[in-house]
Amino acid sequence: MSAAPPNPGGTPPSEPQVQTLACPSCGAPLTVRSMGRAVTIVCGHCHSVLDAKDQLSVLERFAAATSKDTPLIPLGSRGKWRGAVYEAIGFQVRSMEADGIVYSWREYLLFSPYKGYRYLTEYNGHWNDCSVVTALPEAQGTSAKYLGKTYKHFQTCTARTTFALGEFPWQVKVDDAIRVTDYVAPPYVLSSETTGSETTWTLGEYVHGADIWKAFGLPGAAPKPVGVYENQPSGLRDSASRIWIAFLGLATALFVIFTLNQIFSQQERVFQEYYRFSASGTEASFVTPEFELKGRTSSVEVRTDADLSNQWIYLNYALIDEDTGQAYDFGREVSYYTGVDSDGRWTEGSRHDSAVLPSIPPGRYYLRIEPESDANLGLLGYTVTVTRDVPVTEIYLLAFAALLLPALLFSWRSHNFEQMRWAESDQPKSIGGGGDE
Amino acid sequence: MIWSRLYLIYGIGVVLLLGAGAYKGWSFTSVNEVKNVPRSIRDNPGSYRAIYSSYHHYTGGK
Amino acid sequence: MSQPAALCPSCRAPIVFRWSSSVQTTCSHCKSILIRTDVNLERVGVVSDLPPDSSPIQIGTSGTYENRAFTVAGRIIYDYDEGSWNEWHIVLNTASSAVGSAWLSDAQSQYAVTLAVRAAPLPALAAVQLGDRFTWSKTEFVVTAITEARYRGVEGELPFQYWDKQEATFVDLRSTGGDFATLDYSDAEPLLYLGKMVDFDALRLKNLRAFEGWS
Repeated sequence: MSAAPPNPGGTPPSEPQVQTLACPSCGAPLTVRSMGRAVTIVCGHCHSVLDAKDQLSVLERFAAATSKDTPLIPLGSRGKWRGAVYEAIGFQVRSMEADGIVYSWREYLLFSPYKGYRYLTEYNGHWNDCSVVTALPEAQGTSAKYLGKTYKHFQTCTARTTFALGEFPWQVKVDDAIRVTDYVAPPYVLSSETTGSETTWTLGEYVHGADIWKAFGLPGAAPKPVGVYENQPSGLRDSASRIWIAFLGLATALFVIFTLNQIFSQQERVFQEYYRFSASGTEASFVTPEFELKGRTSSVEVRTDADLSNQWIYLNYALIDEDTGQAYDFGREVSYYTGVDSDGRWTEGSRHDSAVLPSIPPGRYYLRIEPESDANLGLLGYTVTVTRDVPVTEIYLLAFAALLLPALLFSWRSHNFEQMRWAESDQPKSIGGGGDE
Repeated sequence: MIWSRLYLIYGIGVVLLLGAGAYKGWSFTSVNEVKNVPRSIRDNPGSYRAIYSSYHHYTGGK
Repeated sequence: MSQPAALCPSCRAPIVFRWSSSVQTTCSHCKSILIRTDVNLERVGVVSDLPPDSSPIQIGTSGTYENRAFTVAGRIIYDYDEGSWNEWHIVLNTASSAVGSAWLSDAQSQYAVTLAVRAAPLPALAAVQLGDRFTWSKTEFVVTAITEARYRGVEGELPFQYWDKQEATFVDLRSTGGDFATLDYSDAEPLLYLGKMVDFDALRLKNLRAFEGWS
């Protein structure tokens, strides 16, 4: 492009990659990694907080007792993360208190001389990748908007820095209290930190420990996550809505088939006859004349209508194919009782019974009928009607239940997940979901 | 994502099965199939009981 | 685009201008600050030792902003309570050479590109507070920072004369859409620069400084 050569020797030299200095408090060697950008450095041995801009003068000190936490990502570790190489240069433990319980989480400051800073937070095995935002979010009470996306308020707390190691491009103060507010839109969390009149916003994205371990080549495995974290993606929620949409489509298909079935069932009556039965000693069984079932294999309804009054009749039916010798054997009871009591007239049972036989092939058939009843009830009259190709409603109900149940189950699982998530927040959403346990 | 796909495949299976059932005339009534009923039953219906292997006698009630 | 070479009046080293409209430059050898007059180069001062540089950008770095290619021609360095930052003077390739000059702000690894904009009236510094809102170019900006800075040094080509300033206060403003604005109170009259926050990767910078130990 331009003919001029790059500025030789004119631009000041870059900082050497790693500087080793001595801690003025305890003499231990300090490794400084961020090339003159550090504002505060914490000595790894005596935990003194040193002012990097003022010749490492000692500002204050972290109590040795708070140093139980060792960073899971050792300072100095490098890894390829989000397209650039980063080095872990700082480690912080921050705590907040709720209902008398202290909750602590850890933050790892990552540095790239090109891309700058980002930090990884870890709590109960849940990791987040956070960077300072560039556009301005708008906080509106219980929600915040950032770049067109709405985030729901999850928690406001006062965070204190209880321990730190390494270097930071800001001033680190022991027990420094900062008001932190989190808004979530899983897998993202929009966090605001306010000190005095200055507010900094960061956007975090939920990431899996395994990815971090892989990127930084860390030994062992990432700690296992416990519970549901504020911006942990559910994976179930989107699936649940998709499933319900599928359900609607499938239920509609079911309804269409039902309607077609109703319309196109031939409901052809092939036989009807009236008989009388009297329970006596003689042989009760008899056979009907032949009738033909034409067309395709279909359902066949055998309907019994009996004039009963406080009686019962039991019919042993067999539908027999004359040519093949195949019989379909079944028994039906018809009983009907009626009376009057203090509440008025009551009835029990019915004078009609309908049995739908499944998938009867076409052919020439007759019925073999053997009635039974109480002796001494006199003559019982009943009509037998045979109809082929009738629609069967029960199979539709079963299919509908088969479609509905998994959808309900899935929604319940998704709801359960969200309940677990919001149980930890400032505003529990569920009935009976208590505070932060 | 995978769950909704699985559900859809399952649901289509249910609907297809139902369609087949509606066409074939399936129902829930339990029926015992007896094979090889001889033509002689037409003349002597009482002899059907002998060939009906799991004949059950109605004992009253439902 | 580059002018025929001239010689530094102080040490006779060759001086090359990448940009025809540069008003000021520095000599890389003797660190003199040179002003371009109609006739020749005039030495007006010298740049004191600059702090070791931690920015990945250097003079000669090229990149892209909103589909326009640019080259880094110079910079102004400021100090503030948390360290220092650079305002890189970039020259944009445009079809017409109407607006060629812009600024790439490089502070704590947050980058923004702004262009000088004429807008009136601009508020006086005393009247500005954090959270105040202003609308320019149909965008609403909110004051997010008021920084008291001290001029530290210059390097390379600048589109105006700028050296040996003392205090300079800058007011930073941002919008919900990622726009960025600065009110520059270094001079008697405030100056407004409007632009956008940019992602490092989006700039597609080439010819960056090499850091020892980092690829």
